[in-house]
Amino acid sequence: MTIADKNELRHPPYDQASGFGWLLAELRDHLWPWAGKGQPARKAIQGAGFALALAATVAWVMAALGHLSAGAIIGWWFGWSVFEVLVRLDAKPYVKEGPWWGHLYRRASVMDMLCYVSFKNLLIGAALFIGLKSAGILQL
Amino acid sequence: MKALRLLSAIAGRLALCATLLQPAASQADTYEVKLPPELATAPRMCDYAPCKDVIPGATTFSERKGQPWYVEAYKDEAGQKKLLGYVMLSTDITDIPAYSGKPVVTLIGMDTAGKFTGVKILKHSEPILLLGIPESALVKFNNQYLGKFVGDNIEIGKSRPEENLIGLDAITGATVTVIAQNQVMMTSGSEVAKQVGILKPVNRPQARFPVSTATPSWADLVADGSVQRLTVKPEEVGLKSDGRPYMDLWFGYLNQPTIGHAILGKDGYDSLMGRLKEGEHAIFIVANNSMDSFKGSGFVRGGLYDRVQVRQDKDGFTFRDLDYVNLWGISAAGAPAFNESAIFIIRGKSFSAAYPWKLVFLGNKIDKETAAKTFANFDREYWLADKYLEGGRPVVVKPDPTWLKVWKDKVVEIIAFTALLLVIAAAYASRDKLVRRADRKNKWPVNAFKYTGWVLSIGFVGFYAMAQPSITQVLTWFHSLLFQWKWELFLSDPLIFIFWIFIIVTVFVWGRGLFCGWLCPFGSLSELLYKIGQAVGLKRFQFHLPQALHDKLKWVKYAVFFGLLAVSFFSMGLAEQLAEVEPFKTTFLVGLFNRSWPYTLFAGGLLGLSIFTERPFCKYLCPLGAALAMPTTFRWFGLKRKDECTSCKACAKGCGSLAIDTKGNIDQRECMLCLDCMVLYYDDHACPPLAQERKRRDKAGQPLTPINGKGYFIPIHPAPANTKKEGAAA
Repeated sequence: MTIADKNELRHPPYDQASGFGWLLAELRDHLWPWAGKGQPARKAIQGAGFALALAATVAWVMAALGHLSAGAIIGWWFGWSVFEVLVRLDAKPYVKEGPWWGHLYRRASVMDMLCYVSFKNLLIGAALFIGLKSAGILQL
Repeated sequence: MKALRLLSAIAGRLALCATLLQPAASQADTYEVKLPPELATAPRMCDYAPCKDVIPGATTFSERKGQPWYVEAYKDEAGQKKLLGYVMLSTDITDIPAYSGKPVVTLIGMDTAGKFTGVKILKHSEPILLLGIPESALVKFNNQYLGKFVGDNIEIGKSRPEENLIGLDAITGATVTVIAQNQVMMTSGSEVAKQVGILKPVNRPQARFPVSTATPSWADLVADGSVQRLTVKPEEVGLKSDGRPYMDLWFGYLNQPTIGHAILGKDGYDSLMGRLKEGEHAIFIVANNSMDSFKGSGFVRGGLYDRVQVRQDKDGFTFRDLDYVNLWGISAAGAPAFNESAIFIIRGKSFSAAYPWKLVFLGNKIDKETAAKTFANFDREYWLADKYLEGGRPVVVKPDPTWLKVWKDKVVEIIAFTALLLVIAAAYASRDKLVRRADRKNKWPVNAFKYTGWVLSIGFVGFYAMAQPSITQVLTWFHSLLFQWKWELFLSDPLIFIFWIFIIVTVFVWGRGLFCGWLCPFGSLSELLYKIGQAVGLKRFQFHLPQALHDKLKWVKYAVFFGLLAVSFFSMGLAEQLAEVEPFKTTFLVGLFNRSWPYTLFAGGLLGLSIFTERPFCKYLCPLGAALAMPTTFRWFGLKRKDECTSCKACAKGCGSLAIDTKGNIDQRECMLCLDCMVLYYDDHACPPLAQERKRRDKAGQPLTPINGKGYFIPIHPAPANTKKEGAAA
């Protein structure tokens, strides 16, 4: 473990889960940035986050319907990603330490969260983008 | 809007700075130049292009003619016009893209004997020729064609007289560009040479068809490949979708009796065959619900159907109005509805249905930004199934794709490079064993591998193979992922391709340090200079920045990376120019002394600074390092730490990467995996907690047990008295 200071380690509510349940909880954690049971969060950030997530979802749906250009959807996705960093730093301020199949988590610095959200959303965005493009809905 | 304007202004300023810093750019006078729009379409092409430059002595030129287009060049001789040769514009003939994904627009001259007389680049979009390699290198490359016959077997690489192959010297560092340019030259030249009779068509044995009474349905014909489909999406020609394909063609070969009967019915087939002379062939094409017509504006261009043609190997077959027969309906059960149809007759004697051929749709791609049209073609292969040919399909050896040829040519380098990567990866995977054999004073068990990696990466990977990964590749990938992914583009540089697979895998397994710290040619050169400086007595001048300052400056590289990424969305060309912040091209591709002074000063300055401080470029500027550092956050296997590391600063003091924070945690994004801290981790004379325990045991007369995986001596526990055994023995 690269962490010397054990105070840096964190324990999300689901870190004791195992097997399929733990995998599902991990998936939910990646896709749902807001605080869950046992996780504190400021209501204002949470509320604004919901609003922006709704707007980003609408943007993707519009893209899927062919009403939004590629540039606009990239802009929206980028904007949402910036906000997701703030939401997660407030609600889920931890990232995985070690292999993805491990159960170790550490406190997330701003840079950790930036890296996590940007990389995760790049993968999600690329999958949606390629999906829409393959379906011939999104044009570049 | 304000933000956009601001960004645009910043990009403009950056472009200005880049231009001021780049005298070489001024030499690149055909990079992305605006060509007159008439050049692509005007009948008198030579009014808009310097045709005289590519066919010396020519005084007059004809209008565009033929399919594909070319121009005849004449000189006046005693008041008579004498045909000197031909001039062709590459983009009239082929849309082969170069490294940038765009074609190099080339004007080519050829005499009546089929020898190239001149080549002139009118426009290119190759970033490497803008910044790294002077454009004159491409001119010099093109001059190698002068005097060579268009029918010769000309390829990039060494000549092989035993195979009748003429080799051309490539441009080091621009392999993909010259491979594409060779294809452009040979395709353009041979297309025109065939039209004017310089190259004779290949005579292929004609197909013979078995007798059959079967009447396949449309679905059967589609399933066995007797009917093929060629679809072009609107976005492929730069148009907005309205839900329909731009072109949706079904086509097939009609001379084969079983297929012909199925499509035309017996009467229709007999009637058509009655019209055909020996050696003539008929194909049908139908289209439905397409945005455009496949017959197009055929009669404007001298009676030619200019949107469809048949190609067999290097032979092309076009259709005139006399080659057209109406197709009123399709007999095969289950045939789709159609609103446009045709039967075309192939009259070229070299065509044979026994061999594969392609239906080619010739389109124009409209650039969304400039509205300029560029030539683009789309094709679909057709080959009669075994059962429709007497004796089955003949054996056809298809030429290797270009990227495969490159891989075959570089097989030795590929094996050597792959071996290097595997050995270094294996050495790093065995780090626990290596660091246990090393100690603070003798790190050779680790350094032997690391230094070997450095030397080979500098000499072999960097200077010889020029396989230095770069941020421009990351930007290209990013854009390809979003816009158009072409495997061929990435496969055309095998060492870079293999390197990136290695980098991606190792970044997720161990972090960026294995590449950056052990195998990056520039990083290796940088640290090697630092070590040499240390060895030659410059140690007293060597320094690390204070940790606080380092902690601020390390963010600069991320800003550089995100800046380049943002700019690339506005202008990939500008991003490529700004990517000169990487001194890689200057150091390895072009050479420190082959570039203008600002580049040399920048790269030389960084390397000079590297003698006195460890890896300044890698730590503070490298956008590639930043791009790799981000996923390193999630590397699977990190280095080890002990609880005592929170208060002990021994490793942190010796960390050249300044990657250990005040709490003793390693910042994996900054760590170059030099393994110095891991050597200390197991060294009972250097690691304070271990040394303390060693001294304590020495004093107590206790044995020194082996050090376990957690970096501590295996504890000594008094063996419990085995009462049971003793009892039994008694």
